[in-house]
Amino acid sequence: MSEMTPTATSARADLPAPSPPVDPAETAAKADAARRLSWWRGDGGEGVRRNLGLIGVLVVLIVIGILTRPDLYGDSNWVWDNILTILKLASVVGVVTVGMTFVIIGGGIDLSVGAIVALAGVWATTVATQSYGAGGMVFAALTVGLAVGLVNGVLISYGRLVPFIATLAVLVAARGLAAEISDKQTQVSSNTFINGIASNKLLGIPLLVYILAAVVAAGWVLLNRTTFGRRTVAVGGNPEAARLAGINVRRHTLLLYALSGLCCGIAAIMLTAQANSAQAAMANLYELDAIAAAIIGGTLLSGGRGTIIGSLLGVIIFSTITNLFAINGLSTEAQNMVKGGIIVAAVLVQQVQFRSLTQFLGRNRATTT
Amino acid sequence: MTQHSRDLSRRRLLFGGAALSAGVVLAGCTSNETAPTAAQTKAAAAGGNADPGKKVTIGFSAPAADHGWIAAITNNAKAQAGAYSDVEFKSVEAGADAAAQRAALSTLISQKPDVIVLLPYDGKELNAFGLEAMKAGIPVVNLDRAFPDARAYRLQIKGDNYGMGVAAATYIVAQLKAKGVSNPVIGEIPGIDSLELTQERSKGFADTLAANGLKVANRRPAEFTADSGQQAATGLLQALPKIDALWNHDDDQGIGVLAAVNQANRKEFFMVGGAGSKKAMEDIQADNTVLKATVTYSPSMASSAISLARLIGQGKGMSDLVELQVPKEIVLASETITKENAGDYLKLGF
Amino acid sequence: MTASDAASAPTPPDPTTMSEEVAVTKAPLVEAPADTVAGEVVLRLTDVVKTFPGVRALDGVQLEVRAGEVHCLLGQNGAGKSTLIKVLSGVHRPDSGDVYWRGEPATFANPQAAMRAGIATIYQELDLVEDLSVAENAFLGHEPRRLGFVRRGQMARRTRQILGRLGHPEIPPGRMVRALPAAGKQIVSMARALSHEARLIIMDEPSAVLAHDEVGNLFRIIRELTAQGIAVIYISHRLEEIREIGDRVTVLKDGRTTAANLPARETPTRDLVSRMTGRSIEYVFPDRPAAEPDGAELLRVDGLTRAGEFADVSLTVRAGEIVGIAGLVGSGRSELLETIFGARRAQAGTVRMGGRALRPGSVGAAVRAGMGMAPEERKSQALLLGEPIYRNVTLATFGRYARLGFTDTGRERAEADRIADSLELRPRDVRRPVRTLSGGNQQKVVVGRWLLGDTRLLLLDEPTRGVDVGARAELYQVIRALAARGVGVLLVSSEVPEVLGLADRVLVMREGRVVREAPAGELDENTVLDLVMAGSLMEGAPA
Repeated sequence: MSEMTPTATSARADLPAPSPPVDPAETAAKADAARRLSWWRGDGGEGVRRNLGLIGVLVVLIVIGILTRPDLYGDSNWVWDNILTILKLASVVGVVTVGMTFVIIGGGIDLSVGAIVALAGVWATTVATQSYGAGGMVFAALTVGLAVGLVNGVLISYGRLVPFIATLAVLVAARGLAAEISDKQTQVSSNTFINGIASNKLLGIPLLVYILAAVVAAGWVLLNRTTFGRRTVAVGGNPEAARLAGINVRRHTLLLYALSGLCCGIAAIMLTAQANSAQAAMANLYELDAIAAAIIGGTLLSGGRGTIIGSLLGVIIFSTITNLFAINGLSTEAQNMVKGGIIVAAVLVQQVQFRSLTQFLGRNRATTT
Repeated sequence: MTQHSRDLSRRRLLFGGAALSAGVVLAGCTSNETAPTAAQTKAAAAGGNADPGKKVTIGFSAPAADHGWIAAITNNAKAQAGAYSDVEFKSVEAGADAAAQRAALSTLISQKPDVIVLLPYDGKELNAFGLEAMKAGIPVVNLDRAFPDARAYRLQIKGDNYGMGVAAATYIVAQLKAKGVSNPVIGEIPGIDSLELTQERSKGFADTLAANGLKVANRRPAEFTADSGQQAATGLLQALPKIDALWNHDDDQGIGVLAAVNQANRKEFFMVGGAGSKKAMEDIQADNTVLKATVTYSPSMASSAISLARLIGQGKGMSDLVELQVPKEIVLASETITKENAGDYLKLGF
Repeated sequence: MTASDAASAPTPPDPTTMSEEVAVTKAPLVEAPADTVAGEVVLRLTDVVKTFPGVRALDGVQLEVRAGEVHCLLGQNGAGKSTLIKVLSGVHRPDSGDVYWRGEPATFANPQAAMRAGIATIYQELDLVEDLSVAENAFLGHEPRRLGFVRRGQMARRTRQILGRLGHPEIPPGRMVRALPAAGKQIVSMARALSHEARLIIMDEPSAVLAHDEVGNLFRIIRELTAQGIAVIYISHRLEEIREIGDRVTVLKDGRTTAANLPARETPTRDLVSRMTGRSIEYVFPDRPAAEPDGAELLRVDGLTRAGEFADVSLTVRAGEIVGIAGLVGSGRSELLETIFGARRAQAGTVRMGGRALRPGSVGAAVRAGMGMAPEERKSQALLLGEPIYRNVTLATFGRYARLGFTDTGRERAEADRIADSLELRPRDVRRPVRTLSGGNQQKVVVGRWLLGDTRLLLLDEPTRGVDVGARAELYQVIRALAARGVGVLLVSSEVPEVLGLADRVLVMREGRVVREAPAGELDENTVLDLVMAGSLMEGAPA
């Protein structure tokens, strides 16, 4: 993974260090202390504040639910069930959004996620694949997702296509291929193990929620605790600076789209399990759901900034809105308008922050230079 | 060769082999052993109109299939045409929208068909084409999506969307009465809500329920796909902790609806489907799910359209009718399929 | 410092220090000799400021233009000329400062308003509609009309008149502009200006699109215009043109007027150039080591070439040696540095580190071989502004502290802390976002980044641009200290004294070629300036 040759120990020799040489033991102790601190605190104060705001929105939505349907919320069994329902509803898009968040932080966009989910789902549910059993289906879905993600990555990083164009083309092609393979039919999954992923629970919690939690946790660690995550932020935040620091920007971009594709493969299994079937038109417009969730979660569309937790909260907010409208029997048209409003509000908040930031910078420059 | 490089090359080989086999396995996985469905064609029986007559060239166009129903329309038309020795079948891909279909149809006209069978993207947008073809002396058979102008077609054959809602509600009302349920909770999962056909279906359903003093407690639209059906149903089940009856407009999305019902472990209600897919009929026959009935909107209309187009081309009438020509409009009745008659309808399932 | 000093002193005031800057900007504008400028003042700008998000494009511009003069605007790329033109032509509105047009305070809400007021702009990319005729272009947007119908006859007649005034009656008003050569198109642009009864015509590098003999014709037209009392603001990089056609010169640097109303013909070239490139107070440079650096050869560049940027450049850097490259913007120096670093791919030639040839076009290879670079544009090329300082410091090295791909932020912070201590970074908290630092401290972060790795050769492109006086001296100390520890340094700067003061050995670049190489001690500022500016800027200039 690392671009650097492992010669870290020689670093100190080249320091100009007019100050007295540092005691290595002291450095190590400091590092240890800092490490212990950083593990739970994280580095993004701004991100934490934003996420608290999202949790606030979530609380408001739940309060509205309680006020509008006190009869339902009066039943604690129903409430627990409803929480799990919301999480299940969020699970598939949530997994796709984790991949999308990496791509957007890395300065790109992936419009093909819904199509990849459909292609992977269809591929995993053909009669031939199903004959290999659950293992074969999972293998097919993950491999197809990864492969299409790699195609995206190659087109963008080595073919130098604009991400928007490349993934749009892959969207169209993948849906077409899915329709071709499925002969435009709905392919029923008769594999009880796969279907069981959506219906079975462990300790009272659906397996889908565990999968979402695992992907989110892995995404969080990958973004915040690994060199891969660090490179993602660098490549998206300032590709030229990353390149001039010796980071292989193209290869990393390729990996980001492959990661997104892999997430789509996982999501394809989950969605197939939920619907007991797959078809070329499935996961319709998931790309928009994922992008919207990432944006309201605070991921900057221009890249370089974003959090996995924010994206997760974005997805959960959307599925809570869907749930809220469902339990009140309100039309989906109104629901979509509210979702659109929330996206606009989130972007406006971002812009205001950006504007005040640039004003701050302008003032700063005026006074210090 | 050094040890190191040999190791490396072997690893590469292993990896390459793995990649290769993955490719082979995946490629193999695309095959679908779908049995050809000849069930919906009408065998050319001996005597009468079935006797080979004047050679008729039938041009056919339908939207690209994005759904099982449309796919069945095209397949049925092709299969029915194949059943006649005196029919030449010329099909053109309709492309992605009404404009593309119009362009495709103009190439069809140039091939001088005797009759055109057409399922338009949009009846209004292709009305002008119907007029033009009729004026040029080519009879047009409109399938399912009506032209507003009566001069734009020779024959219109379509399903009854409103009637579907009526049939579903009628069945539900009868069942609830038989069970003696008072104040029943009725749910509805329509298809894409913005389509006129969905609105007609829902209106037929609501009107009939209202006539019996009932109403829909909650409706969550899906998108004619199984995954959207699953999500819509999950929402509906969560909103209605107890349900007595549920109408799902479309059997394709019904796969997802049934999955959601199973996942929520709900059994207290019965469900009526829509359209009449083979899988739905099998489920009804097996009687091991909440799905107890489905109301048809059968793609078999495409087979009938080809048969009638042939008669029009040959200038014959329908042999059971007194009239010497084929009638101008045929609206299929929406039939209700239950456990009792599912066996009869199975061959019409798509 | 008085205003007359500002006009004649060889070293202009430092624009980076507040007090000095006030001295020049608040001083009354220099009165030009009466024989060159006779007319009334038509345009006067005082303290005009224009900011865009993140950049102060104009930062106190003074300008005075008189009727009938050719007023030349000089400045390097990014000095603010384009923004100034856009302010004058109504594309941008200034944030603060005053614009007086013919004695009245004026702001132009849009380009049409500026046009109506009598200010016409001829952009470098001529904004003509290629598929309209000459007359239609000349009167675009204000066609003579009656009852909504364009009076084509009148339009053609008036166009012919104007073309005659411009000395080109041979251009047919009905000809499609597409069919005209570049020079003809330029005349159509001027015809458009005159169709508006323009009193001020701004010409943005008009000679750039012209062949040599066509320039003479352009000058003839300009003289005819000024003879009619029209003022011209003339922008060009070519000094000989300014000498020939200009009356007065105003010099911009970093969005500020560094000199106003210099006589175009009499001002020595060196003055003009030093005002463009800017030069600050005398810095204290660290002492050179007594002995000449005799370390092993670290970098060897042979015949490096990129068409249009630089050609056949060969140079060496020894361990512990500071090699400076002097040259103006456009001399190919930054491109050369980036090519050595692998950020650009050479078309010919080789780069060797420690005797081993580097893969061309690969930054990774250069970094692995021990190179580090602090690029010219800190913010756009080197920093993640929103990220904490320590992550910027470890941007090139975080992989080394990682175990199995997991970053060790504790170690990274500890290392960044060490760098921050040794470079006296302020503020000292390495968790703060790097955007909160001043330019000098940001530069320390970029340089510090390469102190962490096993960097053996450091490439520095304009390391002190936008860095304040105190931080400069500190940076010089850091660079010298690095060399003392055996690191080779290749330094590019447009400030000649910086190169001479800091480097052990100096290469002078001009137009993509190395024109002189010598130990720093054998060169003085005048020699280098002459070498740097020879050629285009020097031609026709009285020495």
